[in-house]
Amino acid sequence: MLKEELETTAFLARIDIKEDEKEKYLADINRMFNYVEVLQEPNVTGLNPTTHVTALRNVWREDIVKPCSREVIDQMLNSAPLREGSFYKIKKVIG
Amino acid sequence: MNEILKMKVKELKTKICSDEIKSEDVIKACFERIRKAEPKVKAFLKLNEDHSLKQAEEVDNKLKSGAKCGLLEGVPIGIKDNIMVKDESMTSASKYLENYVSPYNATVIEKLKDAGAIFVGRTNMDEFAMGGSTETSAYQKTANPWDIERIPGGSSGGSAAAVASGMVPFALGSDTGGSIRQPSGFCGIVGYKPSYGLISRYGACALASSFDQIGTFAKNVTDAALLTSVIAGKDYRDPVCEPNEWIDYTNDIDNPDTLKTLKIGVPKQLFDYKTDSEISKYFNDAVNKIKLEGAEVVEIDVPAYKYVPALYKVIMCAEVSANIATFDGIRYGYRSPNGISLNDEYAKSRAESLGYEVKKRILFGTYVLGAKNYHRCYHQAQKVRTLLINQIIDAYKKCDFIFSPTTLQMPVKFGEMLPEECDIFLIAANLAGLPGITVPCSFTSTGMPMGVHFMGSRFSDAKLFKVARSFEKISGFDTSKYPIV
Repeated sequence: MLKEELETTAFLARIDIKEDEKEKYLADINRMFNYVEVLQEPNVTGLNPTTHVTALRNVWREDIVKPCSREVIDQMLNSAPLREGSFYKIKKVIG
Repeated sequence: MNEILKMKVKELKTKICSDEIKSEDVIKACFERIRKAEPKVKAFLKLNEDHSLKQAEEVDNKLKSGAKCGLLEGVPIGIKDNIMVKDESMTSASKYLENYVSPYNATVIEKLKDAGAIFVGRTNMDEFAMGGSTETSAYQKTANPWDIERIPGGSSGGSAAAVASGMVPFALGSDTGGSIRQPSGFCGIVGYKPSYGLISRYGACALASSFDQIGTFAKNVTDAALLTSVIAGKDYRDPVCEPNEWIDYTNDIDNPDTLKTLKIGVPKQLFDYKTDSEISKYFNDAVNKIKLEGAEVVEIDVPAYKYVPALYKVIMCAEVSANIATFDGIRYGYRSPNGISLNDEYAKSRAESLGYEVKKRILFGTYVLGAKNYHRCYHQAQKVRTLLINQIIDAYKKCDFIFSPTTLQMPVKFGEMLPEECDIFLIAANLAGLPGITVPCSFTSTGMPMGVHFMGSRFSDAKLFKVARSFEKISGFDTSKYPIV
């Protein structure tokens, strides 16, 4: 990972990194990156990638709307750092 | 230590239900022990003494009126701080969730409440369960009760230390890459991770979703099995939860013939790694004890064990980067006051509230999922995962359970690092979705405990408990011994 790649990755991950932290992140991430190089070694031709170990497919349930109490809705909304009525309040998105 | 706390849970519950012991006295004994040991061990992030005593009083009154007795009626339990209990805080040991209050109960919590269990407190952990020592907690370091200068292991170090020091008879934790079994091994207790899909994760804070499972800590195998019987079972709210029927995991657990007909596999790869000499010695003794019970011990060959730490790193970090994206400071959690735009606010909220280990894993995960590395890293790791699973399936053609030391090294002092391969035999269970259990094996010359690990095939959990219980009976490990803290 190069310094510019770290900066792009940090933007994609929405993590603010200060200039004086970059060296440590780069050293640690490159160490991890070198460590996982061993995965290039085995022959995996013809093998499918595993995303999940479960053999379950499409678990269905009845399509029934269950009511949620006003109290719970309020509790969820109140967890937000900023709220306005039934909305979460955030910074302006479009200039 | 109060004798009440040394009882097996089944016995304790029976005595509570027959009014021989009051639940209130059990909770009082717990907090007496906590007051003594906790200043040194620091296993809990939060304790609910008043609330627990009130709950116990309710149990006692309810039983007096002749109400039905639940499976865990009046029995205290510790809960890892990444599982939601309605109206209680849940921090996952992160500053990001410092003021978070859970709006609903996790499925396992609902089941425990129905069974009558009493929640005494929330146990410490690595931040968002990322770590193997509980040192990345944003709040405090938990000590190993057998030697308070050493780590308890992690990420569920608080749960393991609380049970090991007798503060609670059992606890819940989560296991993504050995996070229940490694600290249980380090603290000399039983730690169990179920087959992937056996226990609902609804209401638990996700780390890496294709590995995460909730599991149990106890002083002995029977208690771990009992607790599992209470919390396991289908739940439509966790889409990977298997629709299995209810099982009593304590059923026939004491069968004296369990080991007689079994083939136990010991991985050839065990000898490729530097292992603590005492761990090797006691593991060999354990193998001999199992042979004497009539089990056939065979060597198995899983060359892909070699890739376990690298494989785990790539897939876990990739899944972390996706899961932790939910912590954006918008709907709950920490929001930075320093943001000047929406993107800046996201980036600063996360930067200011997440610890270094968490941020490093998010960045590494984002990097291996990027266009440049996706195929070479992430996709390749998923294929190597298939290779490992195939080799393990092949190994089970030769044996019924795979047997290894829990860890290859003993717990280190705070600030010291364990080698990458220390818990490969635990992580393999997460990568393949298999059940695993660690059982205390012996005390080493320094007075620290070491454990052994059985890994079963998928959904062999009931039999796994029986095998673990059979080993517990012959291990010679004194489970009535508690650390002096």
